[in-house]
Amino acid sequence: MKHLQENLGGVFQKIYEKWLTRVFLLALGAVFLLPAFLYYLLNRKNSAYKSELAAIRLGFKADGTQKAVAEEVRAHVEKKFLFFRSGPAFQAEPDAGPVDVAPPLENAKAGQGIEKEVARLLEVRLDEMAKVKLRKESPGLGDVTFAAYVSNLLQRGGVFACFVVFGFPAFLFLLLMGQPFLKYTFERLVMMVFVVFGVTFLVFTILYISPMDASYNILGDLATDAQRAQFNAAYGLDKPYLEQLWRAFKGIATLHPGKSLMGGQEVMAQLANKFPITLRVTFFSLALAVAIAVPAGIFSALRPYSVWDYLIMLLALIGLSIPAFWFGMLLILEFSITLHWLPSIFLPGNLKVYVMPAIVMGTGLSASIARMTRSSMLEVIHQDYIVTAKAKGLPAGTVILRHALGNAMIPIVTIIGLDFGAMMAGATVAEKVFSIPGIGSWLIDKQFIPDTPAVLAGVVYIAIIVSVVNLVVDLLYALLDPRIKAKIKLG
Amino acid sequence: MDGGNVSVEKDMEQSMAGAGGGASPGMGGAADGPVVRNDGRAGFLKKQRDRRRRRFSELGALSISAGASLILALVIVMAGYDGKAHAFAIHGAAAAVAGLYLLAGLLSVALFFAARSQIDASDAIGRGVRLTGLALLPFAVCGNVFAAIAAFTLAVPDRTIEYRLAGFALLNNLTVMLIAAMNLFKEWVVWTYPTCMLLLAGTLGVYAAVIFVMVWVGKREKALTGMSDAATGHRAGGLPSPNAQAVSSGDTGGQVEGGVDGRTKAAFSYKKLIPLAILLILMAVVGNIFSLLLGLVIISKAANEGSRKIIGWLDALTRIYRNYMSVLGLFIIGILFTLALCSTFLFDYELATVNDYAHLLNPPSIAYPFGTDNLGRDVFTRVVFGTRVSFIVGLIVTAVPLVCGGLLGAMAGYYENRLDNVIMRILDVFFAVPSTLLAIAIVAAFGASLPNLIVALSIANIPVYARTMRAQVLVVTGSEFVEAAKACGRKPLAILLRHVIPNSLAPMIVRTSVSIGIAVLSTSALSYLGLGVDSRIPEWGNVLRVGSNYLETNPYLAIYPGIFIIVLVLAFNFLGDGLRDALDPKLK
Repeated sequence: MKHLQENLGGVFQKIYEKWLTRVFLLALGAVFLLPAFLYYLLNRKNSAYKSELAAIRLGFKADGTQKAVAEEVRAHVEKKFLFFRSGPAFQAEPDAGPVDVAPPLENAKAGQGIEKEVARLLEVRLDEMAKVKLRKESPGLGDVTFAAYVSNLLQRGGVFACFVVFGFPAFLFLLLMGQPFLKYTFERLVMMVFVVFGVTFLVFTILYISPMDASYNILGDLATDAQRAQFNAAYGLDKPYLEQLWRAFKGIATLHPGKSLMGGQEVMAQLANKFPITLRVTFFSLALAVAIAVPAGIFSALRPYSVWDYLIMLLALIGLSIPAFWFGMLLILEFSITLHWLPSIFLPGNLKVYVMPAIVMGTGLSASIARMTRSSMLEVIHQDYIVTAKAKGLPAGTVILRHALGNAMIPIVTIIGLDFGAMMAGATVAEKVFSIPGIGSWLIDKQFIPDTPAVLAGVVYIAIIVSVVNLVVDLLYALLDPRIKAKIKLG
Repeated sequence: MDGGNVSVEKDMEQSMAGAGGGASPGMGGAADGPVVRNDGRAGFLKKQRDRRRRRFSELGALSISAGASLILALVIVMAGYDGKAHAFAIHGAAAAVAGLYLLAGLLSVALFFAARSQIDASDAIGRGVRLTGLALLPFAVCGNVFAAIAAFTLAVPDRTIEYRLAGFALLNNLTVMLIAAMNLFKEWVVWTYPTCMLLLAGTLGVYAAVIFVMVWVGKREKALTGMSDAATGHRAGGLPSPNAQAVSSGDTGGQVEGGVDGRTKAAFSYKKLIPLAILLILMAVVGNIFSLLLGLVIISKAANEGSRKIIGWLDALTRIYRNYMSVLGLFIIGILFTLALCSTFLFDYELATVNDYAHLLNPPSIAYPFGTDNLGRDVFTRVVFGTRVSFIVGLIVTAVPLVCGGLLGAMAGYYENRLDNVIMRILDVFFAVPSTLLAIAIVAAFGASLPNLIVALSIANIPVYARTMRAQVLVVTGSEFVEAAKACGRKPLAILLRHVIPNSLAPMIVRTSVSIGIAVLSTSALSYLGLGVDSRIPEWGNVLRVGSNYLETNPYLAIYPGIFIIVLVLAFNFLGDGLRDALDPKLK
């Protein structure tokens, strides 16, 4: 119990420093913290501390300490200015022009600079000295902050019980923030909320100022102005910008982005149909890419500058340079049209349809993974601990798989995480080529109208998925690398 | 002096360790390791021989020439294979070209083995083999640039950077002329065609002369540096090839007479070459980047004559020239860039845009190398004009984010805390949306046109550049020389502009090359989706979009333009790899 109290007190002080967590803390524990704040104001010895400090400063002025310190500081500053006027630093500068040999103190501007510098340094020195003296004379007197005050209060059993009862949400919050990983995740999630609102704002604004007119594109050019006005009123497109934006925010946050302008179906229902298909394509291509690229990269790194290495890296470079849609067309030409092995159109429930999209999307990804695997393996393989492992007589396979690959995985995981977003977007092209009814091809069709609720929801939810994947990747780091784990723990 | 020497020494150490390890039984466990180790003296001698061979880039050039020529010969033959009839139907001209490629390949193979045995025997390539190598040069006329590069590499023992640039400048214009020569088989050519071709032919003569001048200059410089070597034990700021260094520091006496010669001749000055440099820069107006580089090299050498300062970009250029693939990338970019600039004068824009109902969906022929599309437009001409759009989009879409993202990233990384937070949170929003999706959203909202496409791709690329720059600036700001500048009292802005940004540029430059390639890919992908350039404008994505509609009946409509995209993007990726190695401080 005592341990928990101490712990939470420390956590309280720590997270009170950052404004973001402080806001959460104050909001969640308002019932408890408000009375605590009143007590704090009453009991604060702050004023005493400040007046004592001022008294000591006056004492310095009276007994001549201030004058002595000022002399010392002035001598120091003048020496410094003199040095930099004619010192070696200026001669080293090629374009500084002729070196100024005149005494710098005659220069009015330099003199002013010196005065300023002296005053600043003097203030700092005196303040420091006063604080040291005060601590020596009366050690009990401290400058207690609110956080420290509450932290002290929490050490008392009764107050702590009150805190648990009245400030229960804040108590839970403190418990959560006491765990470094949960704290890190929480901070990232809060940041993500801001990013999601930012994305909503960005995409909505782009669609709002777009010269395209949805009513014109949907009703056709034969519709009368009255019909258009009616359409706009029905979907709220005639409202002012801020009201529409607010509605968009609300729709995204409540997972009810509204009805599609075209056809009037619920956007969420459509998304629920499309997302699994796209995610499946992405997952298959990711799995394919990792399965091919990581072994290829390791193989390349184990035999650097051999013929196989050159060949694999050349293939990887070509893989990076192939336009996805062109590659997809070639595959269709070969495997669907000529050989009739794979279907060229989407058939629900048939896993064969995912083969070609996975290959097309996996090509670019596996190329970058293979290159990254090779370079990071090459870096790791020459480190001392690998040599030690080999010298100890460990089998080569164990050295590579257990010792080298673990450390080499970090940049690889980064690349995969970063490319995931590109994959979600790259799926757009592959979906168009293979006519897969996924989120990407649906979005493109909606873009032309522009079907604001649909496009907004699609882009924002993709952005959320990408952000979550990036968060997972960052957490994976901590599992892979103890150094990063330690960094997160330190906060 | 350079990375070559260091790596040679490192190899030596490794091979010694390998030989020692193999000899002592106690280290048996280590022999299972990734490095293949041979036993004892035989293994050491083999390593030594391999190392000696590796010093001669002639061997690499010859083997690539041999491989590429043979593969291309095979490709030309296979192109005549008719899948449906299961029979070969090769055009007479194609057969002749394939034969020439085969000949070049066989000659390269023969020269390769001859040169290798001479290197093994005497650590030098004899005059006979070098002169025979010149026989590979004429194959450039049938488009075999690999053979020509091998010939240039083999012809001169000590290849200075100027010599190589002059050689590539010549090959660049020659290849463009060859591509333009395909127009001779058409019914008509554009009226500027004869003038432009004659001018290009004239430049070929000038470049040929420049090559001889540069060989002479190289000999002169070598003689001079040999002299200064003898005098001071140092090498002046010149740029000898690794080969030259190997020979001069090695044990053979093959090049001694050059040094003796140099001692009797007067000092040579690059200042005399400045008129030539200006001429070269003027000739670069057709898009010949090698000519431009050569002119700049001469001028900067003239400006820095006498000082021993190493010129940063010259050093990087020399480093790039050590990597065959990155030079090849630069060469391909050079050819396509020249083609893009000259296309208006050499090719008929009407053939690419005006419908011709007499030639609908023609298969590839000598008049229409890539066939004609559904409106009778010449696909070859359309692809050539497509390079213009690709370069315009690629360059702008890289330059804008480079400057904007670079500045934002530099400010975010340098002025920590508040500004960093504001900039990075805003960029996080852009970063959360995949760049292709953002580009699609912008283009779809404002209509498909070239300016909109450029704006969309530029905005979508800014966050990546900003992040790269910020990360690099953070590293550089923490380094000691910045601390020293602060301690010396430099103003923060001056430190940022004079010290931090110049030292953070290397990863940005590498990214630039790769991102031009990505921009080319994105442009064509967006055009393919109908979100790029106006469909009438000849652009690679548009050409492919038409081709994709006739995939079943006329697949060649889609295949050839796709190969062009791959080649250009691949070239930028090769160059990017070369730049990365050249600018890597660890390898310097």
